[in-house]
Amino acid sequence: MTLYSVIFYVLAVIILASTVLAIIQRFLINAVVYLILSFFATGLLFYLLGAPFLAVLEVIIYAGAIMVLFLFIVMTLPIEQPERRIMETLGQWLPVVILSVISFFIAGILIFEAPGSRINLNTGMATPAAFGQFVFNSYWFPVEIASFLLLIGLVGALYLGRRESKKGSEDRP
Amino acid sequence: MIVPYGNVLLLAIILFLLGAVCSIARRNLLMILIGVEIMLNAAGLAFVGASLKWQLLDGQAFVLFIFAVAASEVAIGLALIVYSQRRTGSVNADHYNRMKG
Amino acid sequence: MKTYLFLLLLFPFAGGLILAVIGRYLPRRVAEWIACASVLGSLLMAILAFGAAGEKRYLLTLFDWIQVGDFSASMTVYYDPLAAIMALMVTFVSSLIHLYSVSFMRDDRDYVRYFCYMNLFVFSMLVITLADNLVFLYLGWEGVGFCSYILIGFWYSDAVNATAGRKAFVLTRIGDVAFGIAIALFFLILDQLSIFSINSKASSLGAGTATLLGLLLFWGAVGKSAQLPLIVWLPDAMAGPTPVSALIHAATMVTAGAYLLMRLFPVIALSSVAMVTIATVAAFTGLFSALAALGQKDIKRILAYSTISQVSYMFLGVGAGDVTGGMYHLLSHAFFKALLFLGAGCVIQALHEEHDIFKMGNLRKRLPVVSWLYLVGCVSLAAIPPFGGFFSKDRILLSTFSHPEPIYKFLGLIAEIGALITVLYTFRMFFVAFLEKPSLQEDFKKKDLQIKDRQIRDLPIPKFMAWINSPLAILAIFAGALNFPEAFGGKSWLAQYLASIPGGVPLFPTSASLERSMEIGSGLLNVAVLIAAYFLYRPEGKLLGWPTPVVLHQRLEELFFSGFYLDRLYQIALVRPYQMMARTFWLNVDEGAVDDRFDATANVFRFFSLGLQFWTTGRLSTYLKMLLLGFTAILSALALGWYYLR
Repeated sequence: MTLYSVIFYVLAVIILASTVLAIIQRFLINAVVYLILSFFATGLLFYLLGAPFLAVLEVIIYAGAIMVLFLFIVMTLPIEQPERRIMETLGQWLPVVILSVISFFIAGILIFEAPGSRINLNTGMATPAAFGQFVFNSYWFPVEIASFLLLIGLVGALYLGRRESKKGSEDRP
Repeated sequence: MIVPYGNVLLLAIILFLLGAVCSIARRNLLMILIGVEIMLNAAGLAFVGASLKWQLLDGQAFVLFIFAVAASEVAIGLALIVYSQRRTGSVNADHYNRMKG
Repeated sequence: MKTYLFLLLLFPFAGGLILAVIGRYLPRRVAEWIACASVLGSLLMAILAFGAAGEKRYLLTLFDWIQVGDFSASMTVYYDPLAAIMALMVTFVSSLIHLYSVSFMRDDRDYVRYFCYMNLFVFSMLVITLADNLVFLYLGWEGVGFCSYILIGFWYSDAVNATAGRKAFVLTRIGDVAFGIAIALFFLILDQLSIFSINSKASSLGAGTATLLGLLLFWGAVGKSAQLPLIVWLPDAMAGPTPVSALIHAATMVTAGAYLLMRLFPVIALSSVAMVTIATVAAFTGLFSALAALGQKDIKRILAYSTISQVSYMFLGVGAGDVTGGMYHLLSHAFFKALLFLGAGCVIQALHEEHDIFKMGNLRKRLPVVSWLYLVGCVSLAAIPPFGGFFSKDRILLSTFSHPEPIYKFLGLIAEIGALITVLYTFRMFFVAFLEKPSLQEDFKKKDLQIKDRQIRDLPIPKFMAWINSPLAILAIFAGALNFPEAFGGKSWLAQYLASIPGGVPLFPTSASLERSMEIGSGLLNVAVLIAAYFLYRPEGKLLGWPTPVVLHQRLEELFFSGFYLDRLYQIALVRPYQMMARTFWLNVDEGAVDDRFDATANVFRFFSLGLQFWTTGRLSTYLKMLLLGFTAILSALALGWYYLR
């Protein structure tokens, strides 16, 4: 029971609790906020698992950009709040939960039958410099692709989000 | 010495399934997207744990790309939601059932 | 010689072929000329061949037809005196009927089809007449059956006619099956399909085989010649045009059965069982159809039943061992029956398609030429001496009585009764239709045409149509000269001519005294019945308080009219069960089992797709659920696989 494992379990509990709370919220904005909390905790977990650069990125991009984007949309769109009856019928939730539980058990069996799963992880730290070097040495091409992808995303979002002019309206959905 | 790798993976699985449940069971389009984000996050967690286990940086590089993809996907997804909200006035997934039958 | 016979067969075939291919484009007269010229050409060839042949016989191959391994069937002809006489008769009567048809079908637009099939019919009949190879003969046999079917149902737009044609075809087919079996047996047993060879080798057949072959051939002949029990098609076949009835169902096709038996006589003569069967069926058919004719009202149906009756006399002749007698009657019957049919055709056309004799009357005044010719035909049919029919029929009766077996005496008696009834129905027909009805005569004298009977307004028929029958009348009158019995000092020319063929000389010759007494006796009897018929059937007279024409008790009339209910018997016993069986096969097996199998298979798919339809809700959550399900399934598969590999 080292300190690191304690930290791990605490962080795990926070992540799980906040995620569970996030997915059962009736107000969207509550869900988003809980999720931000979850991502913060995930970021800390990344740091524990030896990826400081990624931890920071998680906070900046995931919690900071993506969730903020969600916030913007939630706040600007005229969505009916609170969502009426999030759990409409048993049929809506039950099959999913059952399937998930089944999957969980199977996955658990699969994971813990592999011999490598019981070994304790060593600590490590990937410094940002080392990480950056590695990425631009071995994975420069995906980086380029990723930038291209972001460009496309930008263009798409712009196009889809523009206001229609009164005269020429698109007839394509 | 941190926890065994299996625990990390287990956490990732649980998170993934939570995201799946959110995606499937909720009606609001935004919640579905949030579920997708949760799932992507869980995958990233699994990668980081694997990277530490094998002491290789490739896992972490991959998480970088997951972030990129998630970002662009969210951008476009939200743009689509806004657009369809403007067109049909509803963000309820049940409203979009013209492919029925 | 070969040329004559080849051209004899070629002319009508070519005529039919030309008419079939380009007949529509030719002007009407040209087409009619082609048809008549081809048959007249055949007549010329027949005469030339007859003159050139004398007493000799010829076996000639015209065309190598089928050659398969051991089996070969070539178009060989066997020209002996029997064939010579038959060919002459067929071509002569056909020519006359073709010329008559030109006039008869003058208003019909389908003349090309008519003449084409008439030509083909003549060709097929000549094939039957001359053929030596049995397969070649079968070709002609089927050909006449087919042409008969077409020509009976000539006016097919009326369903009754088409049905009559079908009926004829089906019933003759029943006979043809037996004939086909007989051909196969000939090949099997004697390894020969040539009539000449079969006749030469006939003595090598055992009695049982000969009986079987004889009966099979007889059954084939029964179908074609409409004897019991396959007679029902001939009365209905009167639905065709009258010249068709004259040619096919009086002179040629129905006699083909008797002719076949005459050709293969050596085979049949070996078996006394076959001979007795032939004679018995023939005698009873004769009486049966004579009685049925007594109850008919349609003039053509009377003549049809009369044909059945007369053809049975030919069969009786063969059964009694007298081929010459059978042939003699065949010839004279051809003449007077064709004459009667053609005369009936004139009457029917003149009276606006009226067939019922009770609606006719006074034809003696209205159609004088036709009536005289018709009278000649009637007296010949009724075997009134000294006309042709008397001598031929009497010869057959003589042969029957001369046969040593006692059953033949009984059959001869039946035949004699049939002959007397023949006189009766013949003159019933003549008196009712042709003599004056006093009530009509009054109207006829009136000049103004405001007359209640539309019959009085007759359709004028071309003179040609009436006069073309005169050669037949002359032959009918003088046919007796062909074979005048020697007992009275005449020259039996035909008997001498046919003496060389097997059966030409009767198996059981008659004594001269018997001959004399029979001739005188039957002659007197016939005349007596004629006089009785006059008193019974003269129109609108009185006989012992009853009005004439005498109509029998209603039940008896119905019995005769319907041909002893034979048609109905067949309908109930054969046709209806067959129809029910076909219906079952259609509805239950074909549609039920086969079709419904396919429907059921298709329904299985529909059922599944309906079931699957449940899942296509169009809702996102459903699809995502399915995704999760798939994910779980893959995980389980992995786990299971890993578990088993461990």
